[in-house]
Amino acid sequence: MNGQYASLLIALPLISAFFVPLIKGFGKKAIKYYLVLITAIQTGIAGWVFSEVYSTGKPIIVIAGGWRPPVGINLYLGHFAALFVFIVALVSFFMAVFSVKAIDVEPIDKYAMLFLLLMLGATGMIATGDLFNLFVFMEITAISAYALTAYNKTGEAAEASLKYIVLGGIGSSFFLVGVALLYGSLGTLNLAHIAQLAGGVNATVAQVSLALIIFGLAVEAELFPLNAWAPDAYQAAPHPITAMFSAFVVKAGLYAMARILYVLSAASGWANIARLLVIMGTLTVIVGELSALRQRDVKRMIAYSSIAQVGLIAVALALGTADGVSAGVFHMVNHAIVKALLFLAVGYVGITLGGTAVENFEGLGKRMPLTAFSITVGAVAVMGIPLFNVFWSKMRIILAAMGAGYAWVVALVLAASVVEAVYYIRLIHTMWFTGEGEKLNENLVFGVIMLLLVVAIIVIGIYPEPLWDIVQKAGNDIVNVAGYIKNVPLMGVGA
Amino acid sequence: MLKRALAIISLLIIGYWLAQGLAGVPFGQDRMLVGQYYLDHVKEQTGAVNAVTAVVVNYRGFDTLGEVTVLFIASTGVGALLWRKKRERTAKTEGSIVLTTGTRLLAPFIMLFGAYIFIHGHLTPGGGFPGGATIATAFLLLYMAFTVYEIPHKAFEKVEGAVGMSYVLVGLIGLAIGGYFLFDWIWQTWGWGHNNIGRLFSGGFIPVIYTVIGIKVGTELSGIVDNMLKEEVRE
Repeated sequence: MNGQYASLLIALPLISAFFVPLIKGFGKKAIKYYLVLITAIQTGIAGWVFSEVYSTGKPIIVIAGGWRPPVGINLYLGHFAALFVFIVALVSFFMAVFSVKAIDVEPIDKYAMLFLLLMLGATGMIATGDLFNLFVFMEITAISAYALTAYNKTGEAAEASLKYIVLGGIGSSFFLVGVALLYGSLGTLNLAHIAQLAGGVNATVAQVSLALIIFGLAVEAELFPLNAWAPDAYQAAPHPITAMFSAFVVKAGLYAMARILYVLSAASGWANIARLLVIMGTLTVIVGELSALRQRDVKRMIAYSSIAQVGLIAVALALGTADGVSAGVFHMVNHAIVKALLFLAVGYVGITLGGTAVENFEGLGKRMPLTAFSITVGAVAVMGIPLFNVFWSKMRIILAAMGAGYAWVVALVLAASVVEAVYYIRLIHTMWFTGEGEKLNENLVFGVIMLLLVVAIIVIGIYPEPLWDIVQKAGNDIVNVAGYIKNVPLMGVGA
Repeated sequence: MLKRALAIISLLIIGYWLAQGLAGVPFGQDRMLVGQYYLDHVKEQTGAVNAVTAVVVNYRGFDTLGEVTVLFIASTGVGALLWRKKRERTAKTEGSIVLTTGTRLLAPFIMLFGAYIFIHGHLTPGGGFPGGATIATAFLLLYMAFTVYEIPHKAFEKVEGAVGMSYVLVGLIGLAIGGYFLFDWIWQTWGWGHNNIGRLFSGGFIPVIYTVIGIKVGTELSGIVDNMLKEEVRE
């Protein structure tokens, strides 16, 4: 099949979001099942792209409008994008199913549109090969995230969303200034073309613009001084949306960061920016873990834990070595699986028992054994116990950091992992060894989804090699800039 | 006081740093790598006289599709956050007779001018976004002058969705005919309007898309105004 059809990944969620107002009259149920259907089709398309890219070993280049880059905009569905677009679609599908039960706040039609557009934005951010287009997709993601954060219309949600809007707005303006500087000095916006010309760019310009762009993306990617919005937003947003934030929205920001970082790796002064990112990532891990320790609300606790994991990924991606980036991508995949599971299970407890405060989790092992079991597996996996998936990726990150000569980072991250173990074990203890309760009926569909994710965690934990092969290819896609330039059919304007 | 002084100092440092970066950008020199290509080829490749709209809709149409989506999200988000079961306009003071009569006379002209702007996007400065914003201004004027005026939301919402879909559909037709998403099939495949450059019936699919964007932006901004002007009423 023609590779250009991969543009359906963008076109389908868009056209279906625009279609929602026309079916509004058919009632709430219809809209919810419509959402499930569209995300299922999207997963199908993403699965086709994934198998196509990994079987041929060649990226799919979607050329919008038939204008070859850098004149037009291209999508670059390489090994990384193919993998993550698939994850985005799959998680969205699970969360659409979850939304059927979890979302009861009106207006449901607006929820469906924003949900689809959040998925679209993350897909676009991962797939695009153009710097300004990246900005546009980042805005789509961010603005739908603002609206969805405040969707529950409580005072808490409004406050969280306002924080997010202000920080996100400042971040995007910085990003835009960075893009303008880069365009002013290079005269092109295509990432491959920028990579080609990066060696000749003025050192100060490269540093300033790269720092501005990283700073702007750090808001989306939840890195330390700029992540104040995240715990509030995670707690206040509807449960399926929280899972989407943690599973892929933040990953899209991280990926964009890594992509731009490596695209400009030929510029002078690059190592300083990479080191800055390593420091920010390490700080994120420490602050996230220490904050999680004191939380009384389980959803908020997992939100802080998610931020800490993101810091770890940022460290890995900024190490500057192929090993580090592959390890980072590995952790991104594992973290997406684990956090989707945890937020799904915790959200399910939240809607069944009315809230996610720690008190509600007492005796959960007796009341909702399947959910409690899923949370336990997720928690054990996050801690990095052998035979679970996160163990391997954390291991790889630590080895890569040692290899790159960052022993102090390794020491700090390992210390933070001890803190992580403390609060997760406390949660497990609360669920299984305290409290009493009657057994409640658990929803079969959610049970199946949770078990699927549990099985994924354990299978990857026991056989990490196949996934490691995949993520090595994906990581190579980011690091190997020469290969990236070669794959994009630049038309040689002004060369 | 200390806070303010610290803020000023850090702003100065950031400003100096940005100025350092700007000093490295060669302004006024020939840096038009891609830009020169657009200027050289815009007429024969897109049929548009207005190079900006050709870039925005044709060469980099993907970005515009994204921007339209951003606006759509903004209006949907406002709608979602201000949603209440029953909301009405609670304005009290009617405008003076000069204002209401003036509005009656002016509103159609503003709408006409807005339509003129987006229809002539490929020829004159402007395009879908300014045209749509102009049309929304007319609705804003109606809201301000008449305390009872309300746009027909049901219809507006449906129109908004339908025109958004038609933008994507035009792109998908391009995928089917030309092989690329957002391919300009009217100009490049059909060759329609080739001997007409600089006149109304030219410009490939630019006028089509700008009409779609104009209607979309007009309905969306009016919808946002409508949402923000209404208050919850207790039954």
